Amino acid sequence: MAEIVAGFGMPHNPGAPALVLRDGPQSETARYYAEMAKELAAAAPDVVIIFTDDHFNTFFLDNFPTFAVGIAETTSGPNDQTPMPHYNVAVPGALAAHIRDGAIARGFDIALVQDFEVDHAVMVPLHFLTPGMKIPVLPIFINCLAPPLPTAQRCFALGEAVRAAITEWPQPLRVAAIGSGSFSLEIGGPKIPVGDRAACTPDPQWSQHVQDLLGAMRIGELVAEATTARMLRAGNIGGELLNWIALLGLIGAHKPVNILPQDDHGQAFVAWRWN
Amino acid sequence: MSVFAVNKICRDALHDLAFREAVKRDPATAIAARDLTTEERNALLAGDVAWLYEHGCHPFLMSYLTRWSLFGLRPAVYTERIRKAHDARDD
Repeated sequence: MAEIVAGFGMPHNPGAPALVLRDGPQSETARYYAEMAKELAAAAPDVVIIFTDDHFNTFFLDNFPTFAVGIAETTSGPNDQTPMPHYNVAVPGALAAHIRDGAIARGFDIALVQDFEVDHAVMVPLHFLTPGMKIPVLPIFINCLAPPLPTAQRCFALGEAVRAAITEWPQPLRVAAIGSGSFSLEIGGPKIPVGDRAACTPDPQWSQHVQDLLGAMRIGELVAEATTARMLRAGNIGGELLNWIALLGLIGAHKPVNILPQDDHGQAFVAWRWN
Repeated sequence: MSVFAVNKICRDALHDLAFREAVKRDPATAIAARDLTTEERNALLAGDVAWLYEHGCHPFLMSYLTRWSLFGLRPAVYTERIRKAHDARDD
């Protein structure tokens, strides 16, 4: 029977790979991703599930799923000109189809996508965590960017449904999961200050608060507080917290073993391991 | 719902190099065949990102325009203008 062995939350800034190349392995971003990579290696997963938000690259507004699962044998990316290596990576297609079946049976009508690439939200975390791309990756897409967003309650329940499906998988399999994204980030919107960057962190306090709730395992409060209005006040990309909330539904009640904050950037790196 | 067409122009600026170069050379000609309202076309050519934001264009997609200063939108110009948009999140 498959088992879930670890969970990770982390940002996916498209500039991170180039930043680390420039600033070296002792830079904060390099060290924080390395900490996550170390925990992932120790968990020794056979498969990684990643809850991710597509930034209008894999999908567009002509056809934009609230939830979708990638069912294929391979994918590649990034498909959005992020300055980093281009990777091909295996997808556990049979498991992905099993998860879609199980989720639909539990009331989640997840869209199917079978011929797809992925953008920086998948490839930046993988670049640092599984640089050889030897671990198959199963992307589950959540609309975090184009309101109306799904509710936090619904995303948490999606994670629970995915967990239930995984535990019904008959073969032994170690599954780790990632929630990809930031807590406070505005890109191109009215909250950014005048200057040379079209992005900012409007609400570092919200980022700290989210981490406090994660650290204290006050997940019910986090889900209740993470309304669309609250998340978007923290920035028009603040809905990426939904990827983390789906992750929390998937992994169940566990205390993080490591929380590495970057509150100036409205984000954090968090690892959960329990066996 | 032709705001879709503005969002599509922003996306194409990232993904379609020939289109991006065409916008750099001659913005009005590059978007001539796009299905825009007169107001949208004028706002885009004027770089009026506050108006476009208030009419539903996605700011993440619009921010692509600053990478190549398309429609005159250098980052300093874009950021100065977008701040003047009405932000429904503050209502």
